Amino acid sequence: MPARRQVLAIGGGVFAALGRPRALWADPVESVEMKGTARGERIWFAPVGLAVMPGTTVRFTNRDPGNSHTSTAYHPDILDRQLRIPPDAAPWDSDFLLPGESFEVTLTVPGVYDYYCMPHEMAGMVGRIVVGRPGDPGWQGAAPDSADLEPDALAGFPPVDEILAKGRILKEEAR
Amino acid sequence: MKTALLVAAATFLLPVGSALAHEEGALQMSPPGAPYIQVSDALPLPEFIPGLGTLFVDPATLPAGPFLAYDHDGRLSATIYMTPLDDLRNGTSYDGLGVGSHTVSSVDIYYNAGHPGVEAPHAHVVLFHDEDAKSRLAE
Repeated sequence: MPARRQVLAIGGGVFAALGRPRALWADPVESVEMKGTARGERIWFAPVGLAVMPGTTVRFTNRDPGNSHTSTAYHPDILDRQLRIPPDAAPWDSDFLLPGESFEVTLTVPGVYDYYCMPHEMAGMVGRIVVGRPGDPGWQGAAPDSADLEPDALAGFPPVDEILAKGRILKEEAR
Repeated sequence: MKTALLVAAATFLLPVGSALAHEEGALQMSPPGAPYIQVSDALPLPEFIPGLGTLFVDPATLPAGPFLAYDHDGRLSATIYMTPLDDLRNGTSYDGLGVGSHTVSSVDIYYNAGHPGVEAPHAHVVLFHDEDAKSRLAE
């Protein structure tokens, strides 16, 4: 039986013959950037809403030259916060990323993942990733509003159906 | 965690008086010496922050400062204060703050959403100490 890498190579050849992008065979990787204005009046994740397939790796990169940021999942294991990712999913915390630094997390469990930037949660720097679609095995929808979060943070999550419809939502488009 | 380092540093350094403008000769070049510490050594922030320069602060004076801002050549270029808006709204006043130099050519005041060290939304009050200071701190 051929090894997985050989299968991918064979598959890639078939895809090339069919005129389809070989990249479809690779494990998907999506990017989320941490951004801010020059004087730090506004900071945000770009995109703030993202829909991905299960198994996607999300790479967070700090593109803010004057600030540090984190990508931190809402989870009781991290600072005893409200659970806002699927119960079977592992939480993540990038720790502080200086300008240009990156952190990756692979999301496999279907559902809605809410995360925040530790030093900027009070300013509403939060994001939402939707993995898979409603009805997928193990799907967990969005967590309800909670007094654990400041109003500015709760207001920052784009609706799940809007994320699913658009795929990516930038801050200017978020409600 | 680095925030804890700042608190620990403040505990040790509290008995030491900050050098203020009347001793400004000691502050004109980086590093300013105790009780000031370099912000990027204690907090996860860039060593040189575009617009603010290389910052030093006496941890005992947080969050307001003064933060002493040095350019790439180590020259004192600005004194900066960071005042949380909620604190002001709730009645906190920051009086009698020190300055890095008696010479002030211009002042900028603007909103900042927060950063490690002063995470609550706050105002930056920037006293530039010469006409070219802003451009030297820009990047």
